[in-house]
Amino acid sequence: MSVIATNELTKRYPGVTALDRLTVEVQPGVVGLVGANGAGKSTLIKILLGLTEATSGRCAVLGIDTATDGWRVREQVGYMPEHDCLPADVSATEFVVHMARMSGLPADAARERTADTLRHVGLYEERYRSIGGYSTGMKQRVKLAQALVHDPRLVLLDEPTNGLDPSGRDEMLELIRRIHTDFGISVLVTSHLLGELERICDHVVIIDAGVLLRSSATTEFTQASQQLTLEVTSGTDEVARALADASLQVRHDGSVLVVELAGDETYDLVRDAVARAGTGLVRLQPRRHRIADVFEGEADHDPAT
Amino acid sequence: MNTTVVRLTARSMLGGRRVLLLAALALLIVVLAVLLRVFADIDQGEAAALLRAVSLGTLLPLFGLIVGTGAIGPEIDDGSIVYLLAKPMSRATIIHSKLVVAVAAMFTFAVVPTVLAALIMVGGSGSLAVALGAGAFAAGAVYSAVFLLLATILRQAVMLGLVYALVWESLVGSVVPGARVLSVQQWALSVAESIAAPGLLSADVALGVAVVLLVGAFAAATWYAGWRLARFTLTGPE
Amino acid sequence: MTQPPEQAPVGVIHNIGYRGYSGPRLGRQAVTRALFTHSLRGIFGLGRSGRSKVLPMGMFAIMCLPALVLAVVTVVGSNQGVITRPPLAYTSYAMVTQAVIAIFLAAQAPQAVSLDVRYATLPLYFSRPLERTDYVAAKYAALSTALFILLSVPIVIMYTGTLLAELPVAEYSSDALAALAGAVVYALVLAGLGLLIASVTARRGFGVAAIITVLALSYTLTSAMQGLFGHGQDNMTAAGWLGLLSPMTLVDGVQVWAFDAQSSTITGPPGTTGGIVFCLVTLAVIAGSYRLLLARYRRVRL
Repeated sequence: MSVIATNELTKRYPGVTALDRLTVEVQPGVVGLVGANGAGKSTLIKILLGLTEATSGRCAVLGIDTATDGWRVREQVGYMPEHDCLPADVSATEFVVHMARMSGLPADAARERTADTLRHVGLYEERYRSIGGYSTGMKQRVKLAQALVHDPRLVLLDEPTNGLDPSGRDEMLELIRRIHTDFGISVLVTSHLLGELERICDHVVIIDAGVLLRSSATTEFTQASQQLTLEVTSGTDEVARALADASLQVRHDGSVLVVELAGDETYDLVRDAVARAGTGLVRLQPRRHRIADVFEGEADHDPAT
Repeated sequence: MNTTVVRLTARSMLGGRRVLLLAALALLIVVLAVLLRVFADIDQGEAAALLRAVSLGTLLPLFGLIVGTGAIGPEIDDGSIVYLLAKPMSRATIIHSKLVVAVAAMFTFAVVPTVLAALIMVGGSGSLAVALGAGAFAAGAVYSAVFLLLATILRQAVMLGLVYALVWESLVGSVVPGARVLSVQQWALSVAESIAAPGLLSADVALGVAVVLLVGAFAAATWYAGWRLARFTLTGPE
Repeated sequence: MTQPPEQAPVGVIHNIGYRGYSGPRLGRQAVTRALFTHSLRGIFGLGRSGRSKVLPMGMFAIMCLPALVLAVVTVVGSNQGVITRPPLAYTSYAMVTQAVIAIFLAAQAPQAVSLDVRYATLPLYFSRPLERTDYVAAKYAALSTALFILLSVPIVIMYTGTLLAELPVAEYSSDALAALAGAVVYALVLAGLGLLIASVTARRGFGVAAIITVLALSYTLTSAMQGLFGHGQDNMTAAGWLGLLSPMTLVDGVQVWAFDAQSSTITGPPGTTGGIVFCLVTLAVIAGSYRLLLARYRRVRL
């Protein structure tokens, strides 16, 4: 059963269309939602939660229609907002216990699960201090804890690595991956950092200006392609011309060349061309696609559905 | 005094809900005066008593609270005071600029309506209006300075200022004889008494004492606020 | 690539085994009740830092103190035969202590609602099985209950004093009941107005000042005008109608007409028409505040 399913979902604000007939289906797992700032990621999440109403179209979370049975959805879903949302004058424990009770847990269960969840996200003695004195990393963990404490079937994480330093980002991404593999909870993660999502997501949905660009499994994006990356110490143009003369398709990509792989003999042709040009070979590497290619490809041809 | 700070403070204080509340209350006083003039015969004594209780006794301390704390409180609260503190400007200049805005707001929204109300209710020579206006201005200036000082020192300035305004000025200041010397309301009354026709208003503080205390309180509060702002430390949210 | 789990730094991520939750998930009603309890405790500063207990508990103590004194005076005086009735009518207590009530309301109404707006915590609430109507209902109920506690405990104290002084029970019991009923009305009216004003602004300080200004100014104006018309112009009817203009005098008017209490202002509502109008206006204020609160939270941008 799909975890999230939208059908022609549209959200219009005066002057701007945040979502434009978005139709997408998401299976259980870790799903990345990618888009530039203002692409409509946060709007989609708010509509899924029933925090905002869609202008038209339908969407269902965990098989439940959000327009009619919103509160049943919210019982089973956790939300980690992008912005600061924590009161400064209570401790993490108190706050997460309160949020657990707001999700419908009885008092004892709320306290137990808070202690567990805070341990899982990595908050130990700090949990008894006021949130006002926390660092960004600790605050992000508290936000994540309140999203997980009621054992939801799906969590929606809006830019969870915002404001974290590189090691903090790694830890958070690792934790998100575990939420699915160890805790068994489906995850929807948004980010504008494409490289992060490649690491942890099973499936990626790309939207731009409210329109769906692409929705497919991560492996499809990052397959090894039939291309080689060629980097030489100097005389790049010369080598490019030599390869083109040998009927190979070559293009420039910044300071490196991208050569279409025509067969096994391509490697020999490249080696010979570089040797004849008398330059040093720095790198000859099979090239993997990156998610960012989808955005570049957009400029050349129509967006794929 | 720095015109940019004046402009910024004016915009923040007058650009939101604060100004709506002040304007609504100012309008209320004037409308009240009109209604009383139309539906009732009021002599000078009754008008004086009414305006003394409403304007000097309640309106001015509360306005002083709103305007004095509003000049600097929100900036300290959300931390944007740091932009001002980091400029090559003496802290006293910052305080003076903000005080100018506060006093101007007081004048527009509290003193002028009081004068208008007095004129409408009684008309005539207008000496009552001038008297009350002078008293209101004096009280307003001191309240603004004192509450601005409070807001600079304390995060919870509004609450304490409230307790002072309500409890001290309304109850103690009017009831306990000895304590009246320390009440801003009485000082302002003394100033008003000296201008109005005799017998309309009575204060328990001699004019000389009152003027000295008014000027002294104003100057001391302003100076101390500048001194404290110079030693201001930013703390995180509580 | 990231490190395999066993080598993760200690103190950061532990694979200690996740336990799912298969227990009961209580529905909207229980959640609303939990928010009500949490808000009520927050209003009195319980469960928060010590500093936030000072004002509400202090005001509560100041409210009860005169009642205690009056009770003691009643007992002692009655023993000495000097006193034959309680020195202060129970129904007038609220009016006498209104400054304290006003400070409590002005300080704690923003505590209940402004903080959620200021820290942007509302999306966390509304992404849970809690509708906006539930949120408003819980907050309104919490503040009303807090005010009722503030108003009713002194009445009970005074009534106990009357009982201990062995004054006629029947008469003063009904008085006490009337005062408690009046306390309910006071609580609802003041809570509605206070929450409405506080919910409009995220700045707590401004909410405090606005509530106090509205309460203090409306009372001062109303009583001054009542004095002017009542004594000065000898127009008691007009003075009676003027009581509609401030919350304290409005509810006092209701007490006078509905419970046959003694008026704490110059005069009560004029005649039966006046009494009915006072009651209707009170209901309108309560219902109106609630509806406006609902509208405000329905329109809030999350």
